[in-house]
Amino acid sequence: MNTSSDSKTPSPATQAAVTVALAVLLLGLVLSIAGNTGSGSSAVVRTIKSRLFSPWMVPPWLDLGFEYRLTHGSDDDGDFRIEVRRQGDSKAAPVRLPGRLTGERAARWQRLARSIAVEDADRDGLLAAAFGRGMFDEVGAEDVTVRALRTPLVDRGGPPTAPVQASSARVRMVGGELQLIRAEPRGEVAPLVRPEASGNPSDGGTGNAAEATR
Amino acid sequence: MNARSSAATRSMSGPSSTDGIAAVGDAWNRFWFSPADSRPLAIVRIAAAAIALALWWSYAADLQAWFGPAGVLPADTVREWRSPYGFSLFDWAATSATLTVLFAATGMVFVLLLVGFATPVVAPLAAVLWSSLLHRGPMLVGPADDCLSVLLWILAIGPAGEHFSLDRWFANRAGRPVPAAGWRASISQGLMKVYATAITVAGLLAQLKGDAWWDGLAAWYLATGPRSGAAGLVPLLERSEYLTNLLTHGVTAFEIIFAIGLWCGPTQQLVARVGLVGWPLVGLLAGEPLWGLTMALFALPLAMRR
Repeated sequence: MNTSSDSKTPSPATQAAVTVALAVLLLGLVLSIAGNTGSGSSAVVRTIKSRLFSPWMVPPWLDLGFEYRLTHGSDDDGDFRIEVRRQGDSKAAPVRLPGRLTGERAARWQRLARSIAVEDADRDGLLAAAFGRGMFDEVGAEDVTVRALRTPLVDRGGPPTAPVQASSARVRMVGGELQLIRAEPRGEVAPLVRPEASGNPSDGGTGNAAEATR
Repeated sequence: MNARSSAATRSMSGPSSTDGIAAVGDAWNRFWFSPADSRPLAIVRIAAAAIALALWWSYAADLQAWFGPAGVLPADTVREWRSPYGFSLFDWAATSATLTVLFAATGMVFVLLLVGFATPVVAPLAAVLWSSLLHRGPMLVGPADDCLSVLLWILAIGPAGEHFSLDRWFANRAGRPVPAAGWRASISQGLMKVYATAITVAGLLAQLKGDAWWDGLAAWYLATGPRSGAAGLVPLLERSEYLTNLLTHGVTAFEIIFAIGLWCGPTQQLVARVGLVGWPLVGLLAGEPLWGLTMALFALPLAMRR
């Protein structure tokens, strides 16, 4: 196949078959790009891609959107890392990843940290739980806190920024069962309404403190 | 149809939709099936295998910590996380020993690809093993891994071992002649051009959704990133907003020119050669040097075309 002289030009049948294969591949490429954007995709693109193209484009790792934005200067472009420590022991030195690692090896830990911080919420903390369990031996406890930290980007002319907590979860083993307890970001917790403030229309109170704090 | 009679028919009846379709068909056939030299593909094979080894090595030290029996990414969790169509040979590596053996075999396959031994078998095997490794931990994968996967499949299609390889050396010893240009090399090189454009356009569209590429500050954010190879530029960029803006818009302009220029006959070789330098520099600035090098490889066959 490599060296025969007839491989210079394909036969008409081969040419037709290869043309069809190329056309399908190129259509798949267009649909992959259209269907894998952060902006979302239309139902028709999603359906066609997932039913007809994903089954053969995903296994060879070709179902790619190539959405390499490099940076938007937003929070998600910050530098992510993971910190794991024994639950309730603030004096114990945490395990930090990627720590002092550099290069592509560090980048892989950072991508994992970013996945835990950003994407894991949609998957019920699947990664955080697995990560916490995998760290039990390293930390020497079966009750740990897994924190994903993000170092925000430095604004031009601005001071260096300190890492902020992007997500946090407690992972523990109780009676052979793995439990994950997420620490919800403050912004997502309903504000407390003091009883004396409720019932006053000018405060926007509903007159039902229990309902307001639920 | 005979080309001369077809032209005569066209000149008598004037242009028609049939002529248009025939012209598109001819252009398609010329683009994909004109015999092409496979030397550029061989050079891409060597460079891609070297990048593959560098990326493969970045897994080595943490292999057991990620994918081992007591690792932080157990196979069942990853299966739940990834696409239902995801497939990985590494899922079956249930013990530390089997994981190590499979991983070492992957490295060995990349070495064989580098030296060009049994390339028609090794190239597809390299693509299968690499995509398997990526599916085993999709949350660890970066842009260089993605683009390398595409490149390995393209190498698997074409005759990547016909030159600069042990295969060639053995063929020479056996007295087999150097192969002539063929259509499979043309398909591989055509796919590289298509993917180079697609990746650039997709990335460009993604970039332009963010304010930083419009207000000219993206270069600052990239250069101050923890993994940027352009940290030396930061003092300069801090002093001059204009320089920051110029660098940002320069990256955007480079990507636009690259995506369009690859398809314009008179400029494509020059643009491809600019890409050989430009992509590694963008990769360095973005803290993804191996991605920059991989992108440059997509432009290599065009840059070498005589």
